[in-house]
Amino acid sequence: MISTALVTLLVLIALAIPVAAALGVLGLILEAAYSQLPLVRAMGEVAWSASNEFLLVSVPLFVLLGEILLRAGFAERMYGSLIQWVSWLPGGLMHSNIATCGIFAATSGSSVATAATVGTVALPQARRFGYNERVFLGTLAAGGTLGILIPPSINMIIYAVLTNTSVPKLYLAGIVPGVLLMLLFMLIVVLLCVVRPAWGGQRVIATWPERFRGLAHLAPPAGIFFVVVGSIYVGIATPTEAASLGVLASLVLAWWKGRLSRAMLRDAIEGTMKTTAMVMLIILAAYFLNFVMSGIGLTTALTAFIEGLGLPPAWMLLAVILFYVVLGCFMETLSMMITTIPIVAPVMFKLGYDPVWFGIIVILLIETALVTPPVGLNLFVVQNLRRTGTMNDVIIGTLPFVAALFAMLALLAAFPGLATWLPAAFG
Amino acid sequence: MLDRALKAADWLGLRAVWAGGALLVAAALTVSVDVLARKLFAVSLGGADELSGYAFAIGSAWAFPFALLHRANVRVDALYERLPPKLCALLDILAIVALGVFAVFLARYAWDVMATSWSLSSRSNSALKVPLWIPQALWVSGLGLFLATLVLLLARALRALAGGDWAWIRATLGARSVVEEAEEETAYARALERKPR
Repeated sequence: MISTALVTLLVLIALAIPVAAALGVLGLILEAAYSQLPLVRAMGEVAWSASNEFLLVSVPLFVLLGEILLRAGFAERMYGSLIQWVSWLPGGLMHSNIATCGIFAATSGSSVATAATVGTVALPQARRFGYNERVFLGTLAAGGTLGILIPPSINMIIYAVLTNTSVPKLYLAGIVPGVLLMLLFMLIVVLLCVVRPAWGGQRVIATWPERFRGLAHLAPPAGIFFVVVGSIYVGIATPTEAASLGVLASLVLAWWKGRLSRAMLRDAIEGTMKTTAMVMLIILAAYFLNFVMSGIGLTTALTAFIEGLGLPPAWMLLAVILFYVVLGCFMETLSMMITTIPIVAPVMFKLGYDPVWFGIIVILLIETALVTPPVGLNLFVVQNLRRTGTMNDVIIGTLPFVAALFAMLALLAAFPGLATWLPAAFG
Repeated sequence: MLDRALKAADWLGLRAVWAGGALLVAAALTVSVDVLARKLFAVSLGGADELSGYAFAIGSAWAFPFALLHRANVRVDALYERLPPKLCALLDILAIVALGVFAVFLARYAWDVMATSWSLSSRSNSALKVPLWIPQALWVSGLGLFLATLVLLLARALRALAGGDWAWIRATLGARSVVEEAEEETAYARALERKPR
């Protein structure tokens, strides 16, 4: 039964059947082949309850928030003021790329949106100030991935829904690794530029009064962060309510910046609804498939099989990491999560791994997937923003930062407290 | 005839997305007002979360046809992009068939859910006591439109196949490459860049 299911799924996916259809059809096939009961009749109920699940409502709201922020146009000023704070370091503007990504990540739940927003602002500077273009591009593609590690995070919500983990705890758990990863990225830039000073371009040295005056431009992202993430911890709002408040706040911000218009809103809505439909169709199919799988005992069989392998937990973790790194090279990240987490996560929990900690591991793996060729979306986003040169520049420039992601994974495996300490302290 | 019907589906799909998006924005505002009223004035309107759940279900179902026509359904193209164009076209049609099979079952059993709510006059288990068939009917209508769009696309694709119109199949049904994906993600950022303030 396990091998039939696996082979069928792989064939469907390899034939480029849409992921949602592949999962749904696999569910139908398994039901017809192995079930005594007409499980398929429950499809409507399963779909309806998934469709109006309150926590899932936050997904389109966070997507919408990102789409509005992208168009609200406060990234330029933010970038300008961060330059004054961090660009005296060897590597100059590349540090403000990373720092702007980190701060924008605290308002946006998407890595692609982060890379696109910051990239638009930063790229024109690369040539003007004589930076090594490859490394410069790398800081944007990799820095962008912080979007889903530093809360809010769309991927964390999907993980929370799939594994029944608390969103506030996941958000808290992402903060320390997020800041640490940001510093690791900056450390890599410093190291590269100390070894090859020519890569560093022009540094910017600002005076303290200039720096403090610039802080005003960090107010909009700080405000959004407080509304969207702060409200959850102060106990005012659930994640979905926080996302709603975030949408409201971003609309006000866009209006204040003179960027709110009907055309802008329509664009933002079309983008949001397309992503939402894509994710929801896969979720409906995955819920149905999981329902069938547990109905015919496949879930239990699968878990028993993996446990029967008798791998020690540490090896199992290594296997899971390898699995996601490889899969991440070929698959869009949200569909990868929805397809695999319902199977992988319970096994890891049974082995004694902490659900919140494992969630952060998964997010780091998704970040890696976003910057590994051939289909790392962030690489393409950055390449697309620049328009000239070859894709190879972006890939090579991002490699050192992929090393940082692996270092972060290793750190987190060695010191789980990096993720679990903050939620425990507040929880 | 078929082309006109497809055009109509496209037109309808776009309107459905706007309507669904408007529902979603309205839900966000309602929930915000609810939270603010609760915290600032200790008044609860109640039911905002329930209504936003319905808005989400209806909005996402109404967006299915639009996502389909914009080729937003994720496909893994590792093998696909290495195949000859004619084989790809066949896989594109197979993709529509597979989506169609899933959609038939989904629409069929979603209809049952609504029909049951209707015949039992079920109401939601909350203060609002919403007659469940109302949001469910709107939700099913989205799934129905999705199915109808799939059928139209399949019929048109088969005609293209018979006429050897590989280009049409590629353009309308082909898997979206990651390059196209990135193109879309950056379209707005690019527009901003061109008109500096």
